[in-house]
Amino acid sequence: MTEERNAFFEQYDKKTHVLGRVTCSICIILFVGAPFIMGIVLGAMPDLGAFARGFLAIGPVWLVSCVAEYLIYVPMLGSGGSYLAFVTGNLINMKIPCAINARDIVGAKSGTAENEIISTLSIATSSLVTIVVLALGVLLLIPLQPILQSPTLQPAFDNVVPALFGAMAFKYYKGNLRVAAIPVLMMTLLFLFVPSMLGSVSFMIIPSGGIAIAIAYYFYKKAGTL
Amino acid sequence: MLAQLNSPAMYLICGGIIAFVAVMCVVFMIRAYRAGVSLGMDTTKMKRTITASATFAVLPSVGILLGVIALSGSLGTPIPWLRLSVIGALHYETQVAEAAAEQTGITLSATQMTPTAVVTIVLLMSVCIMWGMVLSVFFTKKYSKKLKGKGDSESSTGENSGSKSIIGFGDVAMTAMFIGLVSAYIGSYIGQIKSTGNWLSLAVAAVGALAMAVFILIREKKNQEWIDGFSIAGSMIIAMAAAVFLAKL
Repeated sequence: MTEERNAFFEQYDKKTHVLGRVTCSICIILFVGAPFIMGIVLGAMPDLGAFARGFLAIGPVWLVSCVAEYLIYVPMLGSGGSYLAFVTGNLINMKIPCAINARDIVGAKSGTAENEIISTLSIATSSLVTIVVLALGVLLLIPLQPILQSPTLQPAFDNVVPALFGAMAFKYYKGNLRVAAIPVLMMTLLFLFVPSMLGSVSFMIIPSGGIAIAIAYYFYKKAGTL
Repeated sequence: MLAQLNSPAMYLICGGIIAFVAVMCVVFMIRAYRAGVSLGMDTTKMKRTITASATFAVLPSVGILLGVIALSGSLGTPIPWLRLSVIGALHYETQVAEAAAEQTGITLSATQMTPTAVVTIVLLMSVCIMWGMVLSVFFTKKYSKKLKGKGDSESSTGENSGSKSIIGFGDVAMTAMFIGLVSAYIGSYIGQIKSTGNWLSLAVAAVGALAMAVFILIREKKNQEWIDGFSIAGSMIIAMAAAVFLAKL
C-alpha cells in the first residue's frame, strides 16, 4: 500500500469509528427508549421489578454470549462491518456467513483495507435486504391479522416457546448427548419433585447452564474438543 | 390487547427505528463504496460483493419473516417486526420474551398479555442483547488497533495458539450454556405433565425436535446448506401447526 493510500485509509478508518460510535449510541437510546414510548401509547410503563428479576435470570447468559461474539467476530468483520453487524443482529445465521462468502468471492485477506470495505458492503447489503423483505412481509401480514387472531389458531401461538425449545433441543443435543444428559435429567427430576419451581424456570437456566459448562470443560480438557 | 399492539402508533414507533437503521446501513455502504474507489479497488469486485450478499440474504430473510409470523400471535406484528429487522434473532427473542412474561406472572400468550407485560418484555429484549453495541461504542477502536498490531507480528510468527484455545473453549462454553438453557425448559415440560396434566407443551416440543431432525437430515444427506436459514423458524411453524391439532385430542 502506498503512503497516500495508507493515509487515506487511516482517515477513513478514523471517521468510521466516529460514525460507528455515534450511530451505535443513538441505536442504544432508541432500542432502550422504545418500550417507554410504546408504554405511553399502551398506557403502561415497564415493571422494573419484573425486568430486574428477568435480567438476573437470563441476562448473564446473553451477556456472556454477546462478549464472546464480540471478541470472535470483530476480527472477522473489521470496524465498519462490526458496528453494523452488532446493530442489525442475526450474526450467526446470516451476517457472518454472508461476509465470509463475499470475502471468499473477492479473495480479500483478513486485516486488509480491501477486507474492511468488502465486509462493510456485504453486511450493509444483507441488512438492507432483511429490512426490505420483512417490511414487505409485514405489509402482506396486515390483511391476514383476523386469521392469525382466530381462536382456532390460539394453541399454535400459545406454544411458540415449546416449539422453539423442541427444535433447539435437537439441534444442540445432537452430537452433545454426553453434555446434555445430566442437566436434562437433573432439571426433569427437579420439576417433577419440586413443582413449585415451575414458575421460575428462567432462574434455573443459570445452574443448568453452569452444570453443562462444567461437564463440557471436563470433556474439553480430556480430548481438546466437545 | 392484540388490537392495541397492532395499532398504527406501534407501527410508527417500530417503523421509525427500522428506518433509522436502514439509513445507517445506506450511509456505511456508500462510504465504503466510495473509499473502495478511492483506494483503487476493482469496482466490478465491489458490485459482485453487493449482488452476492443481496442474493445470499434473501432466503435467510424469508426464514426471519416466518419468525415474525410465529411471534405476531402473542406480541402483535410491529414488535417482532422491529426486533427481528434489527439486532435480534428468533431464538433469542422468544426465550427472553418468555423469561420476562414469567416474571410478570403470565406466559407468552396473547390471551394473557397485558400492556405492562408487553413493555417489560420489550425492555428486557432490548437490554439483554445490547452488549455487542455497548462494547462497540467503547472498545472497537482500541480492539481493532490491537488486532492490527497483532496481525503484523503474527504474520511472521504464525497464529497465536494461546488466544486460539481460549476462543476454542469460548465456542464450546456457548454451546454448553444453550444446552443448559434448553434442558431447563425441557425438564419443566416433563414436570408440567405430573403437576398440571399439561402434556401439550412436551408434545409440541417433540414435534419441533422431529421437524428439526428432518431439516438437518435434508441438509446433511442432500447437501442443501440453504436450508439452515429456515430450520429454526420452519421447525417452529410445523410444531405450532401441530399444536392446533394436538389441542383437539
